[in-house]
Amino acid sequence: MAKILIVEDEQHQRELYALELQDEGYEIDQAANGKEAVELVKTNKYDLVIMDIRMPEMDGIEALGKILSKDKKIPIIIYTAYSNYKSNFMTWTADAYITKSSNLDELKNKIQEILATRSGI
Amino acid sequence: MKRFLYRTLFFFGPDLLFALFVAFILTSLDGNRVLAGAIAAGVVSMVAVRAVLFRIGSRFYYAQRIDAIRGLVEEYKKGRYIVPKIEISGRDELLELYGDMRTLGKHLSSVINSQKTELEKFQNLYNSIVFSLSTYYLILNGEDKIVFANTGLCEKFNFEQNEIVGKRIEDIFYFVNRRLKEGLRQVRKYENSVLLEKTHLLSMKKVSIIADIKISNIVLQEKRHEIVVIDDVTNRLQKDYQISLMSQITESIQKDDEIDRILHTILTGVTSGAGLGFNRAMLFLLDEKSQTLHGKMAVGPDSFEEAIEIWSSIASRNPEESISADDEKASGKALLKNVMNASFGMDQDSVFTRAMKTMMHIHVLDLWNEQDISEEIRALLNVKEFVIVPLVAVNRSIGVVVADNKFNKAPIGKGDIELLSIFASQAALSIENYVQLDSVRNEMQKLGQRQDAIVESEKLAAIGRISAHIAHEIRNPLVTMGGYARRIFQLARDREKGKDVSGIKDAAMIILNESERLEKILSNVMDFTRPSRYIREFNNINEVIEDTVNLLKNLFLEKKINVETNLETDVPLIKCDFNQMKQVMLNLLQNSIDVTGPGGRIVISSESTAENIVVRVMDSGSGIDQEDTSVVFEPFFTTKVTGVGLGLAIVKKIIKDHGGDISVRNITEGGSEFVIILPVPV
Repeated sequence: MAKILIVEDEQHQRELYALELQDEGYEIDQAANGKEAVELVKTNKYDLVIMDIRMPEMDGIEALGKILSKDKKIPIIIYTAYSNYKSNFMTWTADAYITKSSNLDELKNKIQEILATRSGI
Repeated sequence: MKRFLYRTLFFFGPDLLFALFVAFILTSLDGNRVLAGAIAAGVVSMVAVRAVLFRIGSRFYYAQRIDAIRGLVEEYKKGRYIVPKIEISGRDELLELYGDMRTLGKHLSSVINSQKTELEKFQNLYNSIVFSLSTYYLILNGEDKIVFANTGLCEKFNFEQNEIVGKRIEDIFYFVNRRLKEGLRQVRKYENSVLLEKTHLLSMKKVSIIADIKISNIVLQEKRHEIVVIDDVTNRLQKDYQISLMSQITESIQKDDEIDRILHTILTGVTSGAGLGFNRAMLFLLDEKSQTLHGKMAVGPDSFEEAIEIWSSIASRNPEESISADDEKASGKALLKNVMNASFGMDQDSVFTRAMKTMMHIHVLDLWNEQDISEEIRALLNVKEFVIVPLVAVNRSIGVVVADNKFNKAPIGKGDIELLSIFASQAALSIENYVQLDSVRNEMQKLGQRQDAIVESEKLAAIGRISAHIAHEIRNPLVTMGGYARRIFQLARDREKGKDVSGIKDAAMIILNESERLEKILSNVMDFTRPSRYIREFNNINEVIEDTVNLLKNLFLEKKINVETNLETDVPLIKCDFNQMKQVMLNLLQNSIDVTGPGGRIVISSESTAENIVVRVMDSGSGIDQEDTSVVFEPFFTTKVTGVGLGLAIVKKIIKDHGGDISVRNITEGGSEFVIILPVPV
């Protein structure tokens, strides 16, 4: 079963993703900011990271860079309320950029898609 | 004496022997008494005749010599020491004496002559000193009669020396004002000196000066006199006065009634003895609408007697006094009335309108022989010589000043006209400036009204600038609420399948919480859109700070700025408008965010003293690159590319409206600190 790390400072949102994705059958770890995420990546192996951008302590973009410098192959989905970050080149090193919505279908589909491609290789 | 006895003996010796012989005969003729008597009588008469002849003879002998000596003495008495010699033959003591006396006379003469030359030298020196003195002086004999006046005085006041001497002081000056009389009285009474500064003197020949007069006692021929030293300070005083006048005229006019003040200043200045010294001055101003020149003001007496009265009552005073004083208004009523009733249409050609149009002064030397001056003006002015000077503002005439010397008939000099022109143009500029200022002020008022609107819209603009961040702020709870709603929906379906649905309650709770949070965010934003009518209530300043920091939370995160709040618990409540205070904090924090780069720091603190609450907003930004840091509170001051520079001006206005104060300073570690002080209600 794929193991997913959710990085999100909004507690309720994070928990919602976790509940929804657990229902989908994924194993979920949670981090409240970029710093926690980087720490968790150091000690755990994740199949995918869902990353918020605007967070206290360390934001998503910085965390993204740090995680990728450690493991270039780890797929990352940026999931944020900000749509303007799409133009930031750093984010293109991520595998997907999804704008937050109360409907998690887009996120779920993207996760499936990426994991399928990865396992296919 | 011996000589005399010898001569007497020589002359009377034979007489004596003969007398002795007769006496012998007489003694022998005893008994013949008649004969003896006749002989004795003959001898006595003979001796007597001889004595008379002796006297006559000696007198004749000495007369020439005595007369010569006497003549010499007579000449000496007259002060003539060199006398022509009278030739007398012979050689005796009297002639020697005569010779000695003449020699002595010659000596005396040479001594006296040499002393006289010395004396003359001193006299000349003394005279030239006295006469070359620029001061004038009079000597009075103790009963106000003039016994001496120096040449300077005579020349100045146009008198001959003999016209003055023997006259009373009142006879040569038109009025001897109270101060001068009182001065003389004091000098006589207390035997001291008196100095009368800036006294107006007008001579019978109509020469007027302003003088410092010094009166002191002087003793001449053992009699007490007074010396009156008159120091002409007219020029100096005129300069002072003119400068003072000028500065008053150039003073900027602030109010409508100050135009009248300036105009009155000019007219009194024009007519004051210390000013330009004209007798009368009249002012006509152009009415733009009707294009008519209207009489506006006039200063000056109606008659020579009135002039004298004015001059003696205001004989001496400071320039400042004469300008502000209205005492001259009482006189010259007829003049004022005539001038006020006069008006001249600009479309009609008159000497006044000509001066207006050409913007040049017109100097009329002889009104009676001037052809093209209307009867109206002749009747109004009724003076031979006058000058019309236009009041020329930047490029137009706004009126004319007419001045004359109706009463002392002094000719109007070129210098007087030049000065008058300078004053007139300066006054015109002042008036024109005021007119401009007034229109600027009207514009400013309109601007002020617009400014309030701008301030309001700027407040909205401030919230507009952070709207993008607020949108995200709203999106988060919205996404969460939607997500959980979907979940509830899913769980409700699952319940039908008999699954565990305990999460519904939690999800609903989360939606509730998030919707409350959303409401709070919205009301936080809405606060800024309310009209700025102050609602003063007791509020906790910490709440204001926390609310605003919360509102800007995302912006801080995005800009990577660390925010610290260091709030004193239990700060006293202050009476303020909550929303306005939030506006203050929002604008201050936005300002701090704008100047603070990533990784920077903003610290907000609150503390209280007995009377005040102090709120500090400190940032680690670039600080204020201004010598005067208070300039940042000026409206439209901005260093940013965007924004109109009203943010901090609004802050200052709100704080001032709350009776508080705000200042800013650069801090040594870099960055700046805004300090707000708000009063705690007693």
